[in-house]
Amino acid sequence: MQNNLLFHQSSVSLEIIGLPDYSNNENKDQISIISQWKLSIIDKPLIEGKFEHLVPIMDAFYIYSNLLIKNEIPLYESKLIDIKADNLHTHNIVLKSSKQNVKPLILKIGNSLLSDTINCFDQLNESQKVRIQKTELSNMPRKLRFGLNKKVKFLIMPPFFAICSIILFSSTFIYFYNSPAEKEKNELIN
Amino acid sequence: MVILETIDLNGIESLYVLSNRLNLNDVFPNKVAIWKVRNNNPLRKSYLNNTIKLNEFDALIKITVEMSRYLYPYIREILQSKEDHEGNSVIWNDFNRRFIELIKERFNIDSIRVKKLLNQAENDAIIIKSLLTLSFCISNQGGQKLKNYLFAF
Repeated sequence: MQNNLLFHQSSVSLEIIGLPDYSNNENKDQISIISQWKLSIIDKPLIEGKFEHLVPIMDAFYIYSNLLIKNEIPLYESKLIDIKADNLHTHNIVLKSSKQNVKPLILKIGNSLLSDTINCFDQLNESQKVRIQKTELSNMPRKLRFGLNKKVKFLIMPPFFAICSIILFSSTFIYFYNSPAEKEKNELIN
Repeated sequence: MVILETIDLNGIESLYVLSNRLNLNDVFPNKVAIWKVRNNNPLRKSYLNNTIKLNEFDALIKITVEMSRYLYPYIREILQSKEDHEGNSVIWNDFNRRFIELIKERFNIDSIRVKKLLNQAENDAIIIKSLLTLSFCISNQGGQKLKNYLFAF
């Protein structure tokens, strides 16, 4: 008997079907082996797939929503899903099937349905009953990720430049340095 | 927060009630303390150049997320009313009108950035993005998400 968990937000619901990992002594109501998931959006065709499609689709929505808020070009493209903004209020989603001769599914959703979907994914991410590969990194805006790298750079770069400038500065003294042997030689010549 | 106050007519009172409910009394013992922190915004008429402390920033984030969670159905309704503008534009127009009133009342209208907020032709994108930001941050990890969005601005 498979477990069934439902995450619901206004007009969107996400159903996760799967089994607990008994080899890990998990509770019987836990889901660690996801066999199927279904995303239902009111007035839109049902989206369903296998586990391997779930995380890429969640990532696509998270990355797209970040782009949307950060005033960057709201466009996400991958082998599985494309999302782009038609205008300020409409988002065009193209879901591509992995099976040949299956036409892609095209959906148009508004901002309200987009936020419902993101909130369903958030509920899934935060659920203690489902174990999936979390998508925390994708929640983080790219600018911030760059910002963290920048912080690291700022920590490393000043000492690096300081050491380089000391080496450069001190290397000039090589030309002015008179070794004792050379001094003695000069004295003998004199 | 102005967006949230535009939705909740009794916004200042709600912010204080939520602050108490979240046990933030030591950070915000009264409404004036919240007002003072919010006045760190240079666009405001009553701008006070206080350095905002980390615990005050965190507390404001927590209150914003909690209030967004309560007001999510309204946020959603406003976003939806803009989507089908012809059929249900009353909600969006009311919201926009009240938002402009609040901005005029509290912000320095000589500032170019504030003028942008007042211009109905230009403020649509700003309002929609602000509403979306709030609506994406209603989960338990919403505070962290909101911080990430704010740092990215």
